[in-house]
Amino acid sequence: MITRRSRLGLLAATLAIVASACSGSATPTPAPPSAAPSVAASVAPSMAPSAAPSVAASPSPAASASALKIGVVTDIGTLNDKGFNEYSYKGAVDAATTLGAATPPSIVPKDASEYKADIQQFVDQKFDVIVTVGFNLTNDTVAAAKANPTIHFIGVDQSPICVDPQGNPDSTFACKGDAKTLLPNYTSLYFAEDQAGYLAGIVAAYASKANIIGAIGGTTLCASCVRYIQGYELGAKSIKPNIVVKSSYVTHDFSAAAFNDPAGGKVFAETFIKTNKVDVLFQVAGKTGNGVLEAACENNIYGIGVDVDQWLSLGAPANACIITSAEKHLESAVNQAIMAFAGGTFISGDQLYNAANDGIGASPFHDKASLFGPEVQASLDSALAAMKAGTLQTCPTTGCGVAP
Amino acid sequence: MDITPLINGLDSIPGLGLVFQAIGYLVAVLPPNSSSIMAQATPLALAALCGVLCERSGVVNIGIEGTMLASAFTAWVVGVALNPMFSADPSPIFGLTIPLVLALAAAILVAVIVSALHAWLSISLRVDQIISGTIINIAAAGVTGYLDQLISKSSPAGAGEFAQFTPPAALTNLPVVGWIFAMFLDQGPIGMSVIVFIIGAQIWLFRSRWGLRTRAVGEHPRAAETVGIDVIRLRYRNVMIAGMFAGLGGAFLSIEATNSFQIGMTNGRGFIALAAMIMGRWTPIGAFASALLFATFLQLGQLINIAPPGGDLGVAMSAIPAQFFDAIPYILTIVILAGVVGRSIPPAADGQPYERESAT
Repeated sequence: MITRRSRLGLLAATLAIVASACSGSATPTPAPPSAAPSVAASVAPSMAPSAAPSVAASPSPAASASALKIGVVTDIGTLNDKGFNEYSYKGAVDAATTLGAATPPSIVPKDASEYKADIQQFVDQKFDVIVTVGFNLTNDTVAAAKANPTIHFIGVDQSPICVDPQGNPDSTFACKGDAKTLLPNYTSLYFAEDQAGYLAGIVAAYASKANIIGAIGGTTLCASCVRYIQGYELGAKSIKPNIVVKSSYVTHDFSAAAFNDPAGGKVFAETFIKTNKVDVLFQVAGKTGNGVLEAACENNIYGIGVDVDQWLSLGAPANACIITSAEKHLESAVNQAIMAFAGGTFISGDQLYNAANDGIGASPFHDKASLFGPEVQASLDSALAAMKAGTLQTCPTTGCGVAP
Repeated sequence: MDITPLINGLDSIPGLGLVFQAIGYLVAVLPPNSSSIMAQATPLALAALCGVLCERSGVVNIGIEGTMLASAFTAWVVGVALNPMFSADPSPIFGLTIPLVLALAAAILVAVIVSALHAWLSISLRVDQIISGTIINIAAAGVTGYLDQLISKSSPAGAGEFAQFTPPAALTNLPVVGWIFAMFLDQGPIGMSVIVFIIGAQIWLFRSRWGLRTRAVGEHPRAAETVGIDVIRLRYRNVMIAGMFAGLGGAFLSIEATNSFQIGMTNGRGFIALAAMIMGRWTPIGAFASALLFATFLQLGQLINIAPPGGDLGVAMSAIPAQFFDAIPYILTIVILAGVVGRSIPPAADGQPYERESAT
């Protein structure tokens, strides 16, 4: 009796696990016709078409088309996340379109344990370029690059590359190896977040009437978050030297609260706004930060988005108070890196994208343009020009990327 | 209420200074943030209430997390789908719109369905109740994640959200007690209703015939059956009604606390609620108090982060790693669950499937 019951439970449990395994997870675009069957076999057939945006879009290559095979492994989440995954993938698609190569297939891992296997799927199919998106994929990408010297790997935001003298990922962070020579087939695109933050700070300083502005980061351990905020402070002070810049971090570890808890972020921001009386708030906390922006709008203060143009990506009504966003030009960076490889000039090692190569920027004001006089754009332009010339200090000389 | 001079005076007593500074800090920062504390406690309290009602009738429900997630997703999806069809302006009270009300109803309905599944598995099929709850958690995470991936592709506009009620300043600015009004009234409709549900459930569980039967079924189902109570039916009803509260808690996350759905956005709240339920000794008011305590320490951890105390206390605290303050609510939970506040005894038949003698 009991045995029969528990067997039924076990069956139901298995079904549930199967259902969850199919969800939100590895859904590689069924590979181009010539591809090995291994990918297709690993995907539930019924789900592949709906979750693979690029199937229908891939035209048969023109006569002059490149045979370059580009694959993208994103971080967990979704491909169309209006953030890192989406714009990095777009960059790969752009490059493929320009080159006339097949539209790059993408794989969205379900959790961190799948990174390695997902990268391996593209390796097994002998792809030429594999783009891996996000810091979390660093170790698996480095390992794959070491094991497959003939395949080129482009990591987005995986700097600084840290390898031991044999070229393996270095978990002790001694970083004794020179990645540039040890892994000539691997590059990490990283961004001058402090420059983007600096531009956002300029806008914030102009928008603030109370002369108190704020920034909320996801976690103190996220160096790029800290750089954004450090640049923001310097940028604001370049316009109003006596402006008060308050900053806080939602948490001090890499728990879900840091980047994936909008409800928590909103409460945190409400307390922050109430306590510090800021009238402009810059979020550097991913999805948690979307809650921060919501709190800003509800409290009738201005919000500043991060990484991508959040006025566009969030849409109405969530973007009601967004005046600008500190952008990393992910699309452009990935595109440039692939084009460089196609042109025979693959640059290995850490590759910085900053103002000089159009790697960062501030989003347009959109419907808030009437708030800002011509002097704001002029300040932004001159700051950008100074960044390009390399004469502008956008991060503290000591402790850049280290939270106070 | 400025007690700074008093605090300063007491500061001069050696050793006690830090204690008084700490008290002064708490008094200074916690009351003004009472409404945020309540907002943090709301999903926990509703989920804990769900747990209390289930376990009082003898059914362990660790699937609350999954139930909340399913409801949060449903509320958001229904709101997104219906929003374009209705153009009416939100009502001035709570920002109510027809899509929002329907979204809330759908969220509760889905929670009841998910709970009915749990009830069927654990009551009728007598599957291990932990396994059944785990199934719900895993399936909810998977199904909502997958559907979210499909839907977010079309970049939907928001689902809308309930607005917070703004109590009159004359009330919230009252000395000494103003923060209590802010706490319960400066909320959206779900946040405001929590206290009503908690008190209602407390009375219902301990002062009504149904409540008495529920407790009897949870303590000794066979005895209950002998006096003519239909154990199976009562458990079904209770689990499904309890599910409504989990649904409310889930909808709170996606259409009241925020206006968005994120994969896994419940973020463990369903499990923390179970701890609150145990801390509250399986009573609605106890569970609410525990949820509030947890939320207070959560808020305190954030406040230390946002507005650290000054003076000697600030110096002393800066020597402690910031991670410690993030961990305080969880440490507190472990300490309390480990028995510091006395033994917390579950209903005797909690988690045991009931089999009628005649049924075999």
